[in-house]
Amino acid sequence: MTTIEIITSFFLLVGTFFVFLSAIGVIRLKDVYSRVHSAGKSSTFGMISLMIATFIYFIPEGIINVKILLAILFVFMTAPLGALMLNRSAYRNGVPLEKNTIRDDLQEKYKDEKLESTE
Amino acid sequence: MFTYIVYTVLVVIMISLILFLVRIFIGPTISDRIMGLDAFGVTLVGFIGVVMILQDTIAYSDVVLVLSILSFVGTIAMTKFIERGAVFDDD
Amino acid sequence: MMAIKILTYLFVAVIWMFLQNSFTPASFVFGFLIGILILFILRRFLKFDFPIRKLNLWAIFKLFILFCVELTKANIDMVKVVLKPKLDHQPGIVAVRTRLETRLEISLLAALISLTPGTVSMDFSEDNKTIYIHSIHVPDKDEMIADIRNSFEKAIMEVTK
Repeated sequence: MTTIEIITSFFLLVGTFFVFLSAIGVIRLKDVYSRVHSAGKSSTFGMISLMIATFIYFIPEGIINVKILLAILFVFMTAPLGALMLNRSAYRNGVPLEKNTIRDDLQEKYKDEKLESTE
Repeated sequence: MFTYIVYTVLVVIMISLILFLVRIFIGPTISDRIMGLDAFGVTLVGFIGVVMILQDTIAYSDVVLVLSILSFVGTIAMTKFIERGAVFDDD
Repeated sequence: MMAIKILTYLFVAVIWMFLQNSFTPASFVFGFLIGILILFILRRFLKFDFPIRKLNLWAIFKLFILFCVELTKANIDMVKVVLKPKLDHQPGIVAVRTRLETRLEISLLAALISLTPGTVSMDFSEDNKTIYIHSIHVPDKDEMIADIRNSFEKAIMEVTK
């Protein structure tokens, strides 16, 4: 194995680990709000790592592929926004919180509107 | 050796995609399904990146860019839709 | 105002050259024209309330490094939460009041919070001054609020003030 293949393998394995972790979290955790933690953070981090591996693999062939860097930048900027929109729409739809939740400060804001559950 | 690593990575990412699909099917609420689709799109982008390494081509880089943009726009449109029932605000 | 518009044109032109993968003057001019067209179409939605008085590159660089470090720490934290054999974390929604004022600063803070270990921002209050945060494990809410105030608000204030 050459040096570039070792570096690429490292980033590939790290990315795969976090993508798989995100999948396990999405299956195991109990309510939407906790699952968004897993889907929004670990999945994005894994994808960024896999893309960095792809970018590094093509450098010795003399190809600097800027489109991959643009994709990384785009996902990096939009992942928090997607997580926020998911959480907000879930709360406004009245998706129940998990049963060992200990605080809910958002109740005051929506106590006038009646939230109906989608289930 | 390197090829085996890439194949292993592909298999594990495929298992993750199947797990996201399971969540999309069993998700008790509609928010679960949207979240599953979002994570599925992001993971699919990484999958295509690994396929690019395996086939030693950069022909799919446009696919990567467009798929990452479409995944985000789709998530935002669906969340706006279930939040108010309208995709565009009036103001 | 004019300077910011020209900066946006240049930015669109550079992105256009990257997308075309051809670094010639002709494609630069074409990208510049496309930038003018896009800003003309979107002129209703762009307000240009740019709060940065003087460009502090060192503070922006520090903010970016903070972003990357927090993202890595957040993922290591997720490993601990997800792979625990018994799921006994105690989630909760906490309201945090900020001292930031403009909309750009507040959205930047919300994005940073989403990448912190264990927290995702959920909603804003009517006057955009309070951010509601869902935290995956919140045994002590005052410690979390102090943490956000001391690290992120200070870093953002250094960039914009």
